[in-house]
Amino acid sequence: MVNWSDRQRVVITGLSVVSPLGNTLADLTLNAFAGVSGIKRLDAPFVDQLNCKIAAQAQFDPAKHFTKHTYSMLDRVSQMALHTSNEAIKDARLIIDETLKPRMGVFLGTGMGGIHSIEDGYIRLYKDGASRIKPFTVLMSMYNASASAIAIEHQLTGPNQTFSTACSSSAVAIGEATRLIRHGYVDVMLAGGSEALLTYGSMRAWEALRTLAEEDADDLSASCKPFSADRTGLVLGEGAAMLVLESYEYAVARGATIYAEIVGYGAANDCNHITQPSVTGQAATMQAALKDSGLAAEAIQYINAHGTGTKLNDVTETNAIKKVFGAHAYDLSVSSTKSMHGHLMGAAGALEAVITTIAVTNNQLPPTINLKHLDAECDLDYVPNVAKILPKLEYAMSNSFAFGGTGAALILKKLN
Amino acid sequence: MTAQTTNNQLPSFEDVANALAKMIADKMDIDQSGIKPESDLQELGLDSLDTFDIIFSAEDYFKIKVPNDQVKITTLHDVAALVHQLILEQNK
Repeated sequence: MVNWSDRQRVVITGLSVVSPLGNTLADLTLNAFAGVSGIKRLDAPFVDQLNCKIAAQAQFDPAKHFTKHTYSMLDRVSQMALHTSNEAIKDARLIIDETLKPRMGVFLGTGMGGIHSIEDGYIRLYKDGASRIKPFTVLMSMYNASASAIAIEHQLTGPNQTFSTACSSSAVAIGEATRLIRHGYVDVMLAGGSEALLTYGSMRAWEALRTLAEEDADDLSASCKPFSADRTGLVLGEGAAMLVLESYEYAVARGATIYAEIVGYGAANDCNHITQPSVTGQAATMQAALKDSGLAAEAIQYINAHGTGTKLNDVTETNAIKKVFGAHAYDLSVSSTKSMHGHLMGAAGALEAVITTIAVTNNQLPPTINLKHLDAECDLDYVPNVAKILPKLEYAMSNSFAFGGTGAALILKKLN
Repeated sequence: MTAQTTNNQLPSFEDVANALAKMIADKMDIDQSGIKPESDLQELGLDSLDTFDIIFSAEDYFKIKVPNDQVKITTLHDVAALVHQLILEQNK
């Protein structure tokens, strides 16, 4: 049992993103709350070979942020992770002195790690018939390369771990980092996720799963339609999102600006099927977060849903919300921002945590766009198409579920 | 990028050293004019992995195979000598 009297409160003091909705908080806020889609025709040389030609790409040029020597030794997934870490530290106005270095760590989530580097190596070996591949292939593709690069850059000698639980990876990273601060092991954490999986091989593998959305005939940017009767699946995205988390005491002592507090984290596993979610597993995840927060279910006013835009997820998540919240499920609002930024897999939980933080800070709920024909089995308020103002927004939950069954839910609180 | 070998003419030591200097300048984002044969690679900013990477690029460029033997490499001259020797040996 958690000892409530000893635990440190955990607050969010820095945010940064590289996302299909922009690479600054201002752009992300503008687009996510105006209902702008980041889904486009995939800009890649192999696009014509694919059946699914759409994706939510991040406009990220590493040469704008790093020397060639630095970026040429990092996979795209690590370039985006390192860049967002640098920016999140700046956003938090955090000075990392000698005392802080051992008291600060990095927890990161990624679903497919350095898949670009693996694929480049395989193309050389299997397609071009070369007998050797780049000496950096191992170091660029290993899953913990991103977190390692961040620690080296900022000399953060505290705990450094990488979580890979598919689509919930970065929500788990944020939740576990929260626990680390809460129980006093560290004062500050960089927590978040990064994903760069828009490679030919990876896109082909996702196509084979038959979960990707078909292109909307009229408007391809509207191809992801969570909770809508005419949905056809998810749209892959890429990007990174990073949060600076610290103990409330540490933040107050250094005069930091606080965005929000993380008051609850819950994780559970479906144990159902490798791809199929279960109402009980998703409900258990949300219940665990509620229990961790000590809040009554009625306190939650908004849920940033996992909301992938697959029939199975949308209906299961809707039913799980009803199971956990009872009649209150019809009072609270739920939205899927994946309708705009696509599914960032290992970075999804972190990007959605950032959007939920902005929601709580600004008293505004981001919409589920492309929701014109509500699925009969989805009967909650999904904030259809237009953002909603909620003047007294205090508590919000962000859900992440995953292939493999690991669910994670975070509960954020506005700090007055 | 591969070396131009017209009329079966093999590159000279100077050609090899110049090509390597260009690779190093490109990789490390530094001015090629500051790279001399006697330049210490470490002082140019290369660590052991960077050196592996340059050798890897040289293998592609000159179409040679560098064996995994331990060879002491400190300067650009050392790399150029190794690569030049392998070009001569492997193009016999």
